[in-house]
Amino acid sequence: MSDAPRTLAEDLRGRGDDAVATLLRLRPDLLNPVPNDLTQLATRAGTRASVVRALERLDRFALQTAEALAVAPDPCPYETLLALLGGDEGIPEVTEALPGAVDALRASALVWGGDDRLHLVRTARDLLAPTPTSPSATGLGPTVTEATAGMSPGRLQELLAAAGLPATHDPVSAVAALTALFRDRTRMSALLAEAPEGTATVLSKLMWGPPYGEVRAEGASAPVRWLLARGVLLPAGPGNVVLPREAALHLRGGLAHRTPEPHPPAVQPGATHAIATVDATAAGQAFTAVRTVEDLLKSWDAGGPPVLRAGGMSVRDLKRTAVALDVGEPIAAFWLETAYAAGLLASDGEADERYAPTPAYDEWLRLPDEERWAALVAAWLPATRTPGLVGGRDAKGRALSALGPELDRSLAPEVRRRVLALLASLPEGASAKPEALLARLRWERPLRGGADALRAQLVHWTLEEAELLGVTGRGALSAHGRALQGRTEAATDAQTAAAEAAGLLAPLLPEPLDHVLLQADLTAVAPGPLRAPLAETLGVLADVESKGGATVYRFTPDSVRRALDAGRTADELHAFLAAHSRTPVPQPLTYLVDDVARRHGRLRVGAASAYVRCDDDSLLAEILADRRAAGLGLRRLAPTVLAAQSPPDVLLERLRSMGFAPAAESAAGDVLITRPDAYRTPPRSASLPVPEGPPVPDETLLGAAVKAIRAGDRAATAVRKPVPRPAGARLPRTTSADTLAAVQAAVLAGEALWIGYVNADGAASQRVVEPVRVEGGFVTAFDHTADEVRTFALHRITGVAELAEPAGAGDEPA
Amino acid sequence: MLVPDLLPRCPPERKGHRVNGPLIVQSDKTLLLEVDHPQADECRRAIAPFAELERAPEHIHTYRVTPLGLWNARAAGHDAEQVVDALVTYSRYPVPHALLVDVAETMARYGRLRLVKHPTHGLVLETTDRPVLHEVMRSKKIHPLVGARIDEDTVVVHPSERGQIKQALLKLGWPAEDLAGYVDGEAHPIELREDGWELRPYQRQAVEGFWHGGSGVVVLPCGAGKTLVGAGAMATAKSTTLILVTNTVSARQWKHELVRRTSLTEDEVGEYSGTRKEIRPVTIATYQVLTTKRKGIYPHLELFDSRDWGLIVYDEVHLLPAPVFKFTADLQARRRLGLTATLVREDGRESDVFSLIGPKRFDAPWKEIEAQGYIAPADCVEVRVNLTDSERLAYATAEADEKYRYCATTDTKRRVTEALVARHRGDQTLVIGQYIDQLDELGEHLGAPVIKGETTNAQREKLFDAFRAGEISVLVVSKVANFSVDLPEATVAIQVSGTFGSRQEEAQRLGRVLRPKADGHEARFYSVVARDTIDQDFAAHRQRFLAEQGYAYRIVDADDLLTGDELDEV
Repeated sequence: MSDAPRTLAEDLRGRGDDAVATLLRLRPDLLNPVPNDLTQLATRAGTRASVVRALERLDRFALQTAEALAVAPDPCPYETLLALLGGDEGIPEVTEALPGAVDALRASALVWGGDDRLHLVRTARDLLAPTPTSPSATGLGPTVTEATAGMSPGRLQELLAAAGLPATHDPVSAVAALTALFRDRTRMSALLAEAPEGTATVLSKLMWGPPYGEVRAEGASAPVRWLLARGVLLPAGPGNVVLPREAALHLRGGLAHRTPEPHPPAVQPGATHAIATVDATAAGQAFTAVRTVEDLLKSWDAGGPPVLRAGGMSVRDLKRTAVALDVGEPIAAFWLETAYAAGLLASDGEADERYAPTPAYDEWLRLPDEERWAALVAAWLPATRTPGLVGGRDAKGRALSALGPELDRSLAPEVRRRVLALLASLPEGASAKPEALLARLRWERPLRGGADALRAQLVHWTLEEAELLGVTGRGALSAHGRALQGRTEAATDAQTAAAEAAGLLAPLLPEPLDHVLLQADLTAVAPGPLRAPLAETLGVLADVESKGGATVYRFTPDSVRRALDAGRTADELHAFLAAHSRTPVPQPLTYLVDDVARRHGRLRVGAASAYVRCDDDSLLAEILADRRAAGLGLRRLAPTVLAAQSPPDVLLERLRSMGFAPAAESAAGDVLITRPDAYRTPPRSASLPVPEGPPVPDETLLGAAVKAIRAGDRAATAVRKPVPRPAGARLPRTTSADTLAAVQAAVLAGEALWIGYVNADGAASQRVVEPVRVEGGFVTAFDHTADEVRTFALHRITGVAELAEPAGAGDEPA
Repeated sequence: MLVPDLLPRCPPERKGHRVNGPLIVQSDKTLLLEVDHPQADECRRAIAPFAELERAPEHIHTYRVTPLGLWNARAAGHDAEQVVDALVTYSRYPVPHALLVDVAETMARYGRLRLVKHPTHGLVLETTDRPVLHEVMRSKKIHPLVGARIDEDTVVVHPSERGQIKQALLKLGWPAEDLAGYVDGEAHPIELREDGWELRPYQRQAVEGFWHGGSGVVVLPCGAGKTLVGAGAMATAKSTTLILVTNTVSARQWKHELVRRTSLTEDEVGEYSGTRKEIRPVTIATYQVLTTKRKGIYPHLELFDSRDWGLIVYDEVHLLPAPVFKFTADLQARRRLGLTATLVREDGRESDVFSLIGPKRFDAPWKEIEAQGYIAPADCVEVRVNLTDSERLAYATAEADEKYRYCATTDTKRRVTEALVARHRGDQTLVIGQYIDQLDELGEHLGAPVIKGETTNAQREKLFDAFRAGEISVLVVSKVANFSVDLPEATVAIQVSGTFGSRQEEAQRLGRVLRPKADGHEARFYSVVARDTIDQDFAAHRQRFLAEQGYAYRIVDADDLLTGDELDEV
């Protein structure tokens, strides 16, 4: 066809707007920045980074197709490609699926051209074609042409002769003849039929790759020698042989891949449970999730654990949290991260940073249970933070801490979405094995090495986390979990989906109760969740012994005291217990409350700064009644004792001014006698005088000083011989700013300068130069000393001086 | 599918009464059973095989699911599906999936290792799961107990280490299924002589439960006739029997009871105690004589080997002393029956009892037996005594280790005790205490005889007989009478002091008055406690076991008591 596109750009030009839009949707990186024209788009689509990214997004069969194209001639007719993927016999599934795969490759601009001339983008070809260093997923080796490159014509003729082909003097046609032989199934089979015993074993080792084999130094075995003689094996470096691609394809029956995978593996349903069971279990767990997060943050009401300097929570704090929540550390980390993702907890940003619940937490608390759950799940689904990593180490060996940095994995949300979508595709009530899900995800998007290992972990974590959050129950997606599957990935859609899920969950959650069962063994059992105010009061009055569907509380003297400390009276507690108990309050409990209340507050503790005591209580009454004592903060503790809020000296002073004669008392109760000289320091030496200025010098020092001054003076005033020119004996020194200014001035004036210069070896010299140009820290100048134009680094010029005499008479440096 | 549709398929009207099982499964693996629920009994029967009854107060009973309980259920032929089914069927709320998975996984661990008799190698440990055997073989605890490896899946076990290896494997979490069987022992004809009486239904169930399981512990309340369970077991085994009891008085009671209730004659039953060393087809030995140590060895432990015993009965197995533990481990090929009312040990070695004697084969809550009329209903009263000011001061200044002794033995307490005795004049009353001085003083004031450690056995028997006959109406006893003393006539017990916070002592002391009374009236148990002292804290701890069995203590102020009325109204 004459109008067949010659480049990708032309191909794109021939496509509709929709196709280009699809391309940009599939490869959003091409859009940033928006390309000017299709040529630029095509160029960008061919860059290595972009192609790598596009290849990573292919499903397994599309990738296999691209790999097959990479080992096929370029351009490659559709039939050839089909033969590579379906083999000589053809596989019906491949025939059926291949057009789709080719279209997918075209859509993402990895393949262009019509079906008669399919081109794989050059970069993709380079990435996928086999080379000795990066073997192809096909396990195929180089072509005969590639493998025989550099082989002597004589050797080629020998190969032809051994393979029974007519001799030719042209190496190119010799290679072509050999290639044609290998491609011809009939002739090739005939040739191999003559091979000595053991050849098939040798070939079967190399047939599916890797195609390289080692040959023992002391001499190859008969089959290898036979194969090498006929070019079925070709030398590939010392001691190595390679099976050329055409020969391998012959042995494989034309298949580029051992197992073409045209269809995704179906996810087989695992254990199946009644839908009601699944929903109820998930709802129970959803309820637990909400309560757990609430418990977690409630325990941080008075400030949470400190933030590590590197960010995150310390291992010890995580352990403590895990113990408090009665779960394992990984699960505790999950709850922390979920609350964090939902914006319920954050660092407080103070100088000594701590974690604390956010104001959003208070709002969250006011929501009904199902909406609280929806908030958690809506935060979990798109989160890139991966709690499962907590406790592990990053690539540099640093521990990964909960709420800390380095926990983001961009793969996580995609895996979560896909896992839930796959679960949703199963019949209702069916769970799936993680292996089956993983196999499916691996087909949908083959990943390599670390990314694949991470995904395997993510699948496990997703299933565990979904169960913990009550999105699934017994491994199967619940009705409310199903509703979470938004139609699209848009944020608004996710919100409606979450609201819908909450609506489905609501009727399944247990109704909060307003009563407990009190028992004579001093326990109370709440046979279900309690109304918030009841739970709060009971939580103060009793210790929680076991949690779950019900809550078991135990009353102890300590817990009752706690309630009394919180301002409750014994009567209030009795009334509270009677009001919320369905059965009569057991007598031991009544006694416990009374006993603790009787002793509670019998000892009183307060703070006072001073006291006044006097055996005459009427005198104390007089002081209390006196108006002048008003500011002292006096309070009568007992008939003979007043407590005061002012310090003892103020109190003494004031009482004296009021006309009393108080005496101070020591801590032991003795009267303190105050005398002016009563207080002494420990033994001290007297202080030395510190006169202004230096001390007066003695005679010896003075004499020596005078002598020295005289000597100096004589030296300075002596008549010296004039210093001979040239001044070149020393390097001139100027500041760098002066240097630059002088050089620039010299350029303008066309004058010569005398400079001092230190070369790269550190050797100093002086030169007379005529600067021509100053640029980028360099001076280009005619060097009179060397009689040529040179460049001098500005920073190496020690200094400049103007020449008094005309240049040219510069002396050699000393 | 085993999950029944208790839960509605589609949510009905918002938040109504949807599910109403009697059971609540907690995340810490406790099960709360609502007793008044119509399905409660059904549920109790369903969960009893695998869950331990932990507490049985009036409204909600607490059961606990432990690995040991699950393995015992496996041993008794229940599988994980039944356990899960029971939980899911009766649960009010959805059962956490993790818990169900854990149950299944725990139960799957049982039976991977088996102790069997090999035709040529004797006792061997074999596995159906090779890595498990590898894992346990690497343990330092297991290594010395096993011999040569026969093949990949089998290893020889020294027959004497059968108990040790079972215990060690249990600790490693891979319990071995013991299929090696029991030796029959020397046969000896024993029949129950049911003339005018017969085994009560629960006693029969206990005997059957024990025999079916091979070895194990039967837990029955005090006064519920544990001796007859022993006799029943002997009559089933029909072989020579060694019975271990706590003291000589108890030994005599056992002998008396056996001669009366079975075909055994006086001559067939021997007593092996400090005073007599008889070895007969049925021998009753005391723990004390077995654990007497001379020159660093236990000379009397040979008793275990002196005959080819077919059955060993441990009375009051919760008191099993440590040396007997060790020796019992070597007796795994003989049938063992443990009897107790209170398998709580303050040293927490309950699990050792289970692993050495065997799992719990029968357990009846006290209140259930009471409801059937086999033990007397009891009214437990805690009498709170206000100390006088001088006593409080003395208490406050007492040394820490003297505090309990001081507050437990104050004069005020004595006066209150006297008042209580006076109030119950005409009833057979026991005054029980810990401190001999206090008891002597009480005995003097009450004009009642005192039985304590130094009282000779003859004197004890004489006094007990007089008490039973009604010649003496008040008896002051020390802790020697805590156990196994059969005083059917006692109706009032007054506890003045105890072994600190011992729960089982409290239960045993209550047990002294639980024999059903001829006229069916209830027993009275007083615990006299000094208010606001450590005595009160210990008392609270002591009462826990009984409170958890459903005995609700009433609290009475001693002042009200001394001034008169108010006591008898409930």
